[in-house]
Order: sequence, then structure tokens, then C-alpha cells
Amino acid sequence: MEKNKVNNKIKKLFNAKARFHKELAKIPIEEKIEMLVKLQEIADDIRAATGRIKTNLRFKI
Amino acid sequence: MEKAIKVINELQEKGIINDYAIGGGIAVIFYAEPILTYDLDIFFTPVEEKKLVTLSPIYNYCREKGYSMDKEHIIIEGIPVQFIPVYNELVQEAVKNAVEKKYKKTKTKTLKPEYLIAIMLQTFRPKDKERMMKLIEETKINNKYLKKILQKHKLDGKYKQFVKLYYGKK
Repeated sequence: MEKNKVNNKIKKLFNAKARFHKELAKIPIEEKIEMLVKLQEIADDIRAATGRIKTNLRFKI
Repeated sequence: MEKAIKVINELQEKGIINDYAIGGGIAVIFYAEPILTYDLDIFFTPVEEKKLVTLSPIYNYCREKGYSMDKEHIIIEGIPVQFIPVYNELVQEAVKNAVEKKYKKTKTKTLKPEYLIAIMLQTFRPKDKERMMKLIEETKINNKYLKKILQKHKLDGKYKQFVKLYYGKK
């Protein structure tokens, strides 16, 4: 079993993810708010896909 | 969003609210990656220090400008805004020490990340824990400053427990 080898690979993967999140944190607030609106849309689509009524809650920016 | 901030600035300029700062999810977004939130929380210091703070002057001003109300929110230029008067010493101090930011060309103020962590330690809902982790992991926290705030408001023990639980002995 190459247990440690797999662990290192996973560790690398998690580190890359953490770096990606940190990069996202650095983008301008105006772009982040645009992304937030997308998130609100996605959350509403998921809501609808699971049989619930759409809320249409989203920022009008 | 920029128009909504301009209206909030107007409230301050007209003396309807005293000092203010953006808190909640949007404040977290200023420092960390975007997270899902549905409103803009405005923590404000009332003009007069009364035991019972009324939101009527804010509501009246916004109503006169044609903005609608939806439960606890005022929909200002398409953004649901919730006005929250400073409700304890920590939040009052957080607003006082808020930092100036710009959204496009408009100036505003947001709570500092160290104060956001302290406030979220007090409220400590599941979403607060998640947001605290985002701030710890994705933004530069002044640990000395955070420690000072936490000690002053007797939150240092709770923070240590939180860090130990989620990060081991960090």
C-alpha cells in the first residue's frame, strides 16, 4: 500500500485549492459582487431543481 | 450596489444615522472569496443614545425616496439592506474602528476582519463559523490586534477552542 504517496498527492491538491481560494479573495470587490449575483442565481436554480419555489432573490447591481 | 451605498451615505450626511459600517456577509466578501449572502448589513450608531432605538427615521427617509420594505429589509436600488443599530460594546467599537473602502467611485466603510471574527464568535451560528474560517484562511489577520480585541471582550478562550477544533494546535 502506497499510503503516504497518495497522502502527499492529496496534500498537494488541497494546497492548490487553498491557493485558488486565496487568489479569489484578492480580486476587486466589484467583481466579487458580480460573482455573488451568479451564486444567488445558482442557489435559486438548485432550489427550483429540488422542487422548491424560486425566490428570485438576487442583487440588482 | 454603488447607488445603494450612496443612499446610505446620504442617511449619514443628513444626520439620520451617525456612524456606519458594512458588516455581515458583504463585509466578509471585501476580504475573502465571494460567499452566498442575500442582504447588505449596515451596522450604525444612532444619532441619539437612547435605550430604545427606533428605525423610523431611516424607514421614513427611504419610503419618501420610493424604496419598498420587505420584512426586515429596505430594498434600496435593488439591494435588500438591513439596518442594525450597534447592540453591544463590541459592535459599537467595531463601527468606530471601521476602515474606509471604495466601491467603484463611492466611499464607504467596512468592519475590520479582526472585529468581524470577534462579532462572529459572539453570534456563533454555523454560517458564522464558516465565514470565520474564510477570513482566517484567506486574508491577512493582524493577530496581535485580534488578540487584544478578543481579550477585551472575553472571547479569547472561545477563539482558542475554535482554532483548536478546526485547525489543531495552530
